[in-house]
Amino acid sequence: MSRYFANIWETVTTLMIGLGVTLKHLWHIRRGYVTLQYPEEKWPRPERKIGFDHDDYNVIRSRLHVDIDDCIGCMKCERACPVGCIHITTVKVPKDVDLGTTSNDTKKRLLVTRFDIDMSECMYCNLCTYPCPESCIYMTGGPNSGKHPIDYEFSEFDRCNLIYRFANVSPEEVERITTSSAKPRTEGVAA
Amino acid sequence: MFENLTSLEWLLWLILAGLLLFGLMAVNALAAVYAERKLSAFMQDRLGPMGQGAGFHAGKWGMLQTVADALKLILKEDIIPRAADRRLFIIAPYIIFIGAFIAIAALPFSEYIQVIDINLGIFYLLAVCSLGVVGLITAGWASDNKWSLYGALRSAAQIVSYEIPAALSIIVVVMLTSTLDLQGIIRSQEGVIWGILPNWIIFNNPFAFLAFFIYFISGVAETNRTPFDIPEAESELVAGFHTEYSGMRWAFFFLSEYANMFIVCGIATVAFLGGWQSPVPGFMDSGAWGLFWFFGKVLFLIFVMIWFRWTFPRLRVDQLMGVAWKVLLPLALLNIFGVGLWSLYIG
Repeated sequence: MSRYFANIWETVTTLMIGLGVTLKHLWHIRRGYVTLQYPEEKWPRPERKIGFDHDDYNVIRSRLHVDIDDCIGCMKCERACPVGCIHITTVKVPKDVDLGTTSNDTKKRLLVTRFDIDMSECMYCNLCTYPCPESCIYMTGGPNSGKHPIDYEFSEFDRCNLIYRFANVSPEEVERITTSSAKPRTEGVAA
Repeated sequence: MFENLTSLEWLLWLILAGLLLFGLMAVNALAAVYAERKLSAFMQDRLGPMGQGAGFHAGKWGMLQTVADALKLILKEDIIPRAADRRLFIIAPYIIFIGAFIAIAALPFSEYIQVIDINLGIFYLLAVCSLGVVGLITAGWASDNKWSLYGALRSAAQIVSYEIPAALSIIVVVMLTSTLDLQGIIRSQEGVIWGILPNWIIFNNPFAFLAFFIYFISGVAETNRTPFDIPEAESELVAGFHTEYSGMRWAFFFLSEYANMFIVCGIATVAFLGGWQSPVPGFMDSGAWGLFWFFGKVLFLIFVMIWFRWTFPRLRVDQLMGVAWKVLLPLALLNIFGVGLWSLYIG
């Protein structure tokens, strides 16, 4: 009989302890919640240290970006890409057309009419960025991340939007530049 | 009040009262679901529905979340399984709903606001509350699904078992107040007892104090809520008796579940916590304040039910029956004996 009431007593007291725990969590919700309000709040970028000596290798590889104004159309990145997700088309311009210079003061000799990167194919190996003589293709958050803010969530509603088109000359402009050999030009096409 | 009404006025009055009660049930369900989601989230260190982002979103702090859910349920496809007993399948949610609806009609919201004031009020409420189980069994049987049938049988066993301690602890109240009329029970709880405490039944004597907890535990079990939610145990029975229901019919189950919570808490308020009486006699206890106190007490008890749900694990079937028949029933019988002695020698 005493065991019976002892059991009831134990049930009641232990249930009260449980209720106390949940009430405490309810009370402290303002400073203790773990939910991340995702689109408004984001986790900070994690530190990455995967054991390479050179700091350039110890960075996050994320989205590819091209500073198209600096591109000279050498196609080294296209040849370096293991999956072939970079597609570049260049057009030779007449001798007297000046396409301007890059930020490294290299004279641009080819007109880049197409520079597409299919991000859905990209495997984030970062191999395209090393051969680039002008350092104009890079992973945001990569070795040149100072140039561009980190972006690691580039989801799209349409898969086609994952093909990034960096070339900024329209077909009409290509036509105009390649046929205007008669009169010399001074300004760059990128303008 | 109704002696001089023509039959048309009588009908209009009925329709108006019905609409108001339905509105109360709907608002109660919307608010309780929102509160349940928010409180459960807070107890688990989450934020719950927040309605962030651009475009359509559920208001500040997700306040429109349950409204959006209700809209979704109304617009959903009405699926009736081919093997189901069509007629019973359709009628089952309404049986449960009607059970809750006619019970809520007898609750005294304040001294003056009560849809039907019958002199057998508490008896009527206890009787009507067990009507829902008919709907549950109908739903479980008509679904032609073994999970539904298991859930229905479990709920029948559970509700029938827990009715008994609930009714026996209500008898304590009837013994102390000598009336079955809800307004009469509330009126007899007027004044002060033990010097400072309000003269509510729960504070009347130790046995009545215990009776309140027996009633409340049985009430939680009768509404099929955790820790007594074995009729719809998600991990065992998918969703129990309403596994096959979707859309509006499922919404009716949901509506009745939360209405049942309201009713059980309402009975507990009326019988043990002084109904619309103010906790401090003479302080804010006239007219509309009655409404405030009644709803305040009921909502607090609903909060306690939600609190239970997110704290306690579910009981096993045999444990559930054990609690009802081996613990609550003997204690409730002992209570009646104790209250009898108390009112004979002390009270």
